Amino acid sequence: MSAPAPPAPAAPPPPKKDTLTIVFDGKPIEVPPGINLIEAAKLAGIEIPHFCFHPRLSVVGQCRMCLVEIEGIPKIQAACTTPIKDGLAVKTTTQKVRESRAANMEFLLINHPLDCPICDQAGECKLQDNAFGYGEQRSRYDERKRQYAGYDRTAIGPHVVADMTRCIQCTRCIRFCQEIAGTGELTFLDRGGRTLVWTHDGKPLANDWSACAADVCPVGALTTKEFRFRRRVWDLKKTPSVCPGCNIGCNISIEDRDSVVYRFLPRLNPAVNDYWLCDYGRFLSESLNAREISKATVREGSDVRDAIVPAAVERIASEIRSTIETDGPSAIFFLGSAHLSNEENFLLRKIADHIGCGNRDVVVDRSRVRRMKSKTEWIEGDHAGANYAGARDMGLSPGPGGHGLTDVLEGRWIPQIVVVADASFAAAADDAEKVGRLRGARFLAVAARTANSLTRAADVVLPAASLAQKEGSFTNVQGRVQWFQRAFLPPPPARAHWELLLLLGVALGWGDRNWTPAAVRTQIREEVEGYDEVTEQELAGGGLMKKGLFVSTGAV
Amino acid sequence: MKSEPVLLARVGRERSQAIDTYLADGGYETLRKVLTGGWTPEAVTEEVKKSGLRGRGGAGFPTGVKWGFVPKDTKGKPVYLLCNADESEPGTFKDRLLMEEDPHQMLEGQILSAFALRCHTSYVYIRGEFFHGARVLQRAIDEAYEKGFLGENILGSGFSHDVTVHRGAGAYICGEETGLIESLEGKRGQPRVKPPFPAVVGVFGAPTIVNNVETLCCVTHVLKRGADWFAKIGRNEKNSGPKLYCLSGHVNRPGVYEAPMGLQMKELLFGDDYGRGMKDGRKVKAVIPGGASAAMLTAGEIEDCPLDFDGLAAKKSMLGSAAIIVMNEDTCIVDAATNLAKFFSHESCGQCTPCREGTPWLHRVLSRIEAGEGRAEDVELLEKISNQMGNGITLCVFADAAIAPVLSSIGKFRDEYRYHVENKRCLVGPRAAVEAVTA
Amino acid sequence: MTSRRYAVLPAGRPAEFPPDARARIERILSRYPTKQAALLPVLWVAQETWGWISREAAEEVARILELSPAHVSGVLTFYTMYNLEPVGRHLLQFCTSISCHLAGAGGLLEHCRRRLGIDLGQTTADGRFTMVEVECIAGCDRAPSMMIDDAYHEPMDPSKLDALLESLP
Ligand SMILES: Cc1cc2nc3c(=O)[nH]c(=O)nc-3n(C[C@H](O)[C@H](O)[C@H](O)COP(=O)(O)O)c2cc1C
Ligand code: SF4
Ligand code: SF4
Ligand code: SF4
Ligand code: FES
Ligand code: FES
Repeated sequence: MSAPAPPAPAAPPPPKKDTLTIVFDGKPIEVPPGINLIEAAKLAGIEIPHFCFHPRLSVVGQCRMCLVEIEGIPKIQAACTTPIKDGLAVKTTTQKVRESRAANMEFLLINHPLDCPICDQAGECKLQDNAFGYGEQRSRYDERKRQYAGYDRTAIGPHVVADMTRCIQCTRCIRFCQEIAGTGELTFLDRGGRTLVWTHDGKPLANDWSACAADVCPVGALTTKEFRFRRRVWDLKKTPSVCPGCNIGCNISIEDRDSVVYRFLPRLNPAVNDYWLCDYGRFLSESLNAREISKATVREGSDVRDAIVPAAVERIASEIRSTIETDGPSAIFFLGSAHLSNEENFLLRKIADHIGCGNRDVVVDRSRVRRMKSKTEWIEGDHAGANYAGARDMGLSPGPGGHGLTDVLEGRWIPQIVVVADASFAAAADDAEKVGRLRGARFLAVAARTANSLTRAADVVLPAASLAQKEGSFTNVQGRVQWFQRAFLPPPPARAHWELLLLLGVALGWGDRNWTPAAVRTQIREEVEGYDEVTEQELAGGGLMKKGLFVSTGAV
Repeated sequence: MKSEPVLLARVGRERSQAIDTYLADGGYETLRKVLTGGWTPEAVTEEVKKSGLRGRGGAGFPTGVKWGFVPKDTKGKPVYLLCNADESEPGTFKDRLLMEEDPHQMLEGQILSAFALRCHTSYVYIRGEFFHGARVLQRAIDEAYEKGFLGENILGSGFSHDVTVHRGAGAYICGEETGLIESLEGKRGQPRVKPPFPAVVGVFGAPTIVNNVETLCCVTHVLKRGADWFAKIGRNEKNSGPKLYCLSGHVNRPGVYEAPMGLQMKELLFGDDYGRGMKDGRKVKAVIPGGASAAMLTAGEIEDCPLDFDGLAAKKSMLGSAAIIVMNEDTCIVDAATNLAKFFSHESCGQCTPCREGTPWLHRVLSRIEAGEGRAEDVELLEKISNQMGNGITLCVFADAAIAPVLSSIGKFRDEYRYHVENKRCLVGPRAAVEAVTA
Repeated sequence: MTSRRYAVLPAGRPAEFPPDARARIERILSRYPTKQAALLPVLWVAQETWGWISREAAEEVARILELSPAHVSGVLTFYTMYNLEPVGRHLLQFCTSISCHLAGAGGLLEHCRRRLGIDLGQTTADGRFTMVEVECIAGCDRAPSMMIDDAYHEPMDPSKLDALLESLP
């Protein structure tokens, strides 16, 4: 017997790939590990219809809609629960797959009311979409449909209305309350064909994010009371924006028609609010429709007269000029706002700089702590304004030797002129004592959309835009700079705060009337520490952490 | 000729439940032998593998092989053993007998199995209706603790084990092993996504083995008399050991019968030691060989029909829980299928769309035909619905079980369905008889 | 089978377990690695204590086991043996599954229905009997099988049933 051959040199281990190759319908595609077949297919541009799968909820494989064929496995498989492996060959268009989808749609529809025309979900209903895409035209079911007497069209919480006749038992809402909200109000009751979703003993579904249960509901079984039957969804236009409710700055879509805001919906941003919104923020949408200040006004003695906006701005400018002459720029006080954009707060600060005034500040408006779950962590917000951090970053703190808001409110300093860049939200605005302190100035100018004791006390009031009516950026509690876009124009003569501020700057000899928020952002990039990388592209793509801050990893 | 009973050897004896009679019959000697005689857990598993023992709960999976799926390294997690005493498959009543009459036989097997699995905590998941069975079992467990067969350092071997009786509360699906696990965890008994399989991630996130009552009883005897002895009983090495058959329906002597695996169906129905023939001398029309979930067989198909895993698989049915339900010629097949459909509609857990929606639909269409309101297209509709529910597209095999009686009865008795639809009444059965008289 | 309305359990008296039941619950808890796992057994204790499980009892169980009340409701309604409303002194449980059906369970049920003048899910006016239908209870060789409270009575026939109904308090 000959000596054993020396062992063949071990083949070098194949280079470790950070991606996996999945073949969809014959087309290979590279996907990152850790996602499932539904998500992988999406990357390949293939839609695998599904109901129970939600990227942020546990995978339960219950609806059986996502069935696909996998080479080497005789049985058809649920795409959502199939672990992904390198080299998996998936078929999504075979006869078997088509038939099983059609079968599943038939099962789902047999007990579903066929009243899409009066359903609130129509237009964003996955059942309707999938029936259209994957169902058969005709069902052979002509038994009596399942009724849920007592469980149809019933409010199960302050915001959510449930209609169990429409439920497809996907458990997304149950899992949302359990796994994200952590409150677990919802459960399946009974079993088999009698299974329904409800709360314990009719207790309200009242967690801070309850309307998200309606968001995750793929059909019209859970809807929000506030939106029910107000508008057909396809009539609405979506505009990317940022929630004005607190300094977490959840990403929203403002949905409007004919310049009326109908609702806010969460806009996916894994690093901030992921798929969610809190009820408080979500239902601020209606407040955007308020308009009480629709004209510029100027007080002449005891008269308040309407004015055109340029004239009212000129009046402010002339008061500032004459005060600079008599008392110097340090008799003037500029008050920015956590409700205004970076661009607007920046313009305000630049105007103060231009005239050499260091008295500037922003209202500190603490709110109850709000919590939001990003993809990876809980974020807490504690300011009523979305842009508290941004206002500070833009320099709205007293300059060296300058005075701040507390000096005024506590009576240590009485300015000659007070310019309040946004009076609509400031908590001070309806506090008689605080208004009295601000009114202690010889001349008080404000921009506002809604009326309050501060606007009533002012000498000049400028009509300003709502969040939906302007564009800009906010910096949230994490230091993330995020862009919001204009859904529609303010009703003339109201203008965006930045436009009003630019008019004032030009009247005082600084700035260019043709600047846009984008042009202002160019200056912010040059001048404000940490903002030099906040490019327009970055803003368009979900916002950017300003420099020097820890960027949480794991966020997509 | 009837062979010596093994599993039922002590059943029917006086005070067969008590530990003193069990000890007098040599009980717990096997446990002593294994725990103190130098056996390793691996050797026990090997012995069980060699015996060819296949699970008696329904699926017939080789028990030793299943035990081998528990990972070597459990990452610090305990291993759990769950005895499946949920016995709810219509037609099945063997586990009830084993527990009510000879609980120590099962308990000894359970402790031996636990030793093989290095498991220190096991539960008996017993269906809620077995109030008496649970009491008998609890008494047996208490006795075993007293005598040192359970608890710390059993028989000085260093091996410790605790058993807890856990009562269900009325849900057939909790017999499915992952439904059972969910239920034991204090949840609705909704079967889980697999993989991961219980042997890897089971109850409380730990490796878990689920075994049927009868399987555990068999383990006692495999270790008592050796794998070779066990493997030689029965039709062949893949269908080995003693087996309990649950015979019910239109026979003269229904009951639980023990025979070597592979007993001929005809022998069970007609043999003197078993069913002793059909009641009132009627003819066989159909037999369900493995509980409600098994496809029906016709009178022709029960000729040369060994009652074991492979024998029934060859007839496109299954041994299941070995529940043989006999229907005579007066039975209305549509009526029987309707009754079975009612069961599945009532017991579906409801998470999968095809099963939740399909089981009540089948029941409704069948009831309609049974009530004489069937339509021409109904039979085809039943087949269509069934085909849309089956072929393993659901989370557990319940949906496949639910369609088996429908598809098999239509396939084998299509004319009867047709007659029912066309004539709005039964071809046979009590209703037809009544109508014949009143006509 | 009769479907039950679940969401609103009728209110019962405030539920606090008596000391011996509390002690049983403690013993049960010691057998499981999680509190949740004790849910089914503790619900059994509740049912044995009060005869049925009221809203208050469900909430008390939720409190003891640190579960959401919704979870307890979900579990309670999944299983058929927990009484969600008060039942009569005796619970008559008729198996109507296949083997019992073949042995005339339907006729037995009908007989009882007529005799007591109640339907499935109902309780006699004198509060003695509640009738329910159950699926196979593993008594198929002695069909038709039935349970009264926690005991089997099999095989059952109309005359035996009549005698039993007479004799039960
Ligand atoms: C719907 C369904 C019901 C079942 N019911 C039971 C049962 O009541 N008892 C049982 O032992 N196994 C039952 N099984 C089988 C179990 O899932 C499991 O296979 C068995 O307990 C394993 O034990 P074995 O290997 O000892 O047979 C059921 C399976 C299904 C799918
Ligand atoms: S209510 Fe909506 S989200 Fe909840 S289970 Fe039903 S369909 Fe799914
Ligand atoms: S957490 Fe804050 S930003 Fe997010 S939705 Fe609520 S109020 Fe709006
Ligand atoms: S097949 Fe039926 S019983 Fe099994 S998990 Fe699905 S719905 Fe539940
Ligand atoms: S999305 Fe896969 S089963 Fe529902
Ligand atoms: S069918 Fe009635 S006890 Fe089994």
